[in-house]
Amino acid sequence: MNPITAAIQKLGPEIINRTLEHIYLVFLSMVIAVTIALPLGVYLSKSNRLKLVSAVMGLAGIIQTVPSLALIAFIVVIFAIISLPTIGTVPAIVALVLYALLPILRNTYTGIRQVDKSVIEVATAMGMKPHQILFSVEMPLSLPVIMAGIRISTVWTIGVATLCGLIGAGGLGDLIIKGLRSIQVDYLLAGTFPAATLAIIFDWALSRLEKWLSPAGLRGGASAER
Amino acid sequence: MIRFDNVSKTYPGNVMAVTNLSMEVAEGQTVVLLGTSGSGKTTTMKMANRLIEPTFGHITINGIDVTDIDSIQLRRGIGYAIQHIGLFPHMTVSENIAVVPGLLKWDRNRIYQRVDELLTMVGLPPDFRDRYPSQLSGGQKQRIGVARALAADPPIVLMDEPFGALDPITRQQLQNEFIELESKIKKTVIFVTHDIFEAVKMGDRIALLDRGVLQQISTPLELVTNPANEFVEQFLGQHRLQLSLLTKTVEKLFNKTKITPPPAKGRIPERCLQVNSSLLEAVDMFKRTKKVTLPVYDKNQHLGDIDKSHLLEAITRMINGNGGSR
Repeated sequence: MNPITAAIQKLGPEIINRTLEHIYLVFLSMVIAVTIALPLGVYLSKSNRLKLVSAVMGLAGIIQTVPSLALIAFIVVIFAIISLPTIGTVPAIVALVLYALLPILRNTYTGIRQVDKSVIEVATAMGMKPHQILFSVEMPLSLPVIMAGIRISTVWTIGVATLCGLIGAGGLGDLIIKGLRSIQVDYLLAGTFPAATLAIIFDWALSRLEKWLSPAGLRGGASAER
Repeated sequence: MIRFDNVSKTYPGNVMAVTNLSMEVAEGQTVVLLGTSGSGKTTTMKMANRLIEPTFGHITINGIDVTDIDSIQLRRGIGYAIQHIGLFPHMTVSENIAVVPGLLKWDRNRIYQRVDELLTMVGLPPDFRDRYPSQLSGGQKQRIGVARALAADPPIVLMDEPFGALDPITRQQLQNEFIELESKIKKTVIFVTHDIFEAVKMGDRIALLDRGVLQQISTPLELVTNPANEFVEQFLGQHRLQLSLLTKTVEKLFNKTKITPPPAKGRIPERCLQVNSSLLEAVDMFKRTKKVTLPVYDKNQHLGDIDKSHLLEAITRMINGNGGSR
């Protein structure tokens, strides 16, 4: 029997469970990250306080430069000091959210900033209120850029989430760690292959969603910032 | 109807964008704000709908200070058109036109009908309503821009170089169409341009600005024939002759020809001039028709005839007079 089918037969149910755990981790982290980063990005794009803007962007940028393994380690240690749970989904999701923030934040900020000033001026001159301008002009026009940020974040998070196996949060990382400890290729493959596939599927699905959400007048025109 | 009373706009660092500007735009009139970039013409226009707030002075519309009107309400009652970039790229033609009616909460049927009406008014077929701006040519976009400004039938319309981004032929066409449209719908218009020919063509009156100071406000003819100061004269510059051909009408010229008794009313011939035709139009008409004499009408009343030689003589006199004075 060929080794791949053998591995699938042996590990099938576990692969499915771990994949579902993985999706759960990624999905929850992304929902939280978007909930934080999108409004924050909108707020910063409207803010005249450039110091605040660069401080927040800088902070998010610094988090991004910390190696993902180290970020998870730091969170565990900090959680231990303030006596929060150091094992399981909670610290994992905190780490993933922190990691996912920057691309969404930055793309929301630049997306809204790059909307043609004259379009905003016309909207104002026609008597639109600020929230009407935000929701019916600025958001639709910056949607492709914002969605690109969410896509980048999601693909990264799917990769980084494999490290959460280290702190008992489950997911496909579990299989990879098992393979590493027992020097078994089939476990490694059973963790890696679904993770890579997930990244490809999510990227594709989000790009479809982006196309579907994007205003028809912009289709084919706007380029996403990556 | 719109009155600027000693209006000034200063920016931090003592930059005077507009200084002590006073002028009046009468109801139904088109006043063109003319000047080079940095002359304060756009700033002046934008103070009318409070996109920019004046530092000193007052602007009143029908006697009410604009700062006493809620800026949102004020703007919904004033049409606004700028260069082609102003259309919302993510909205269809009909959505673009319907923005202000939508804000004013018109019902859907009324909006639908109004969009059709406006598309017809600006000379576009009704099936354009579902197109996106990216699918339109420059001239079509600009027509939509004008339609959008007129959507809620505002009594006042502000236009900032609305035809500026078009090629010369399309621009002329749109200018002519707008003049015709304007004469039907009777709006009070503030029109900003840097193009003196456009100003002469579009304006009932022209306000010429330089570095934030109003140099002269008068009819196009008065501006061209009687510049108030050296700046105005310089601004007219080498265009003065062309401009006087544009602004002077044939009215005085045919008077000197013998006036024939007015014939019975009927259809006026196609090849004729109107009393308010400019000299340039007259020359053009002679060229096209290859005639030596053309009848002059006031609406459908035959007032007399004009000779080609007489017209050319008058123009030669103008050229010589013009050449002599500089």
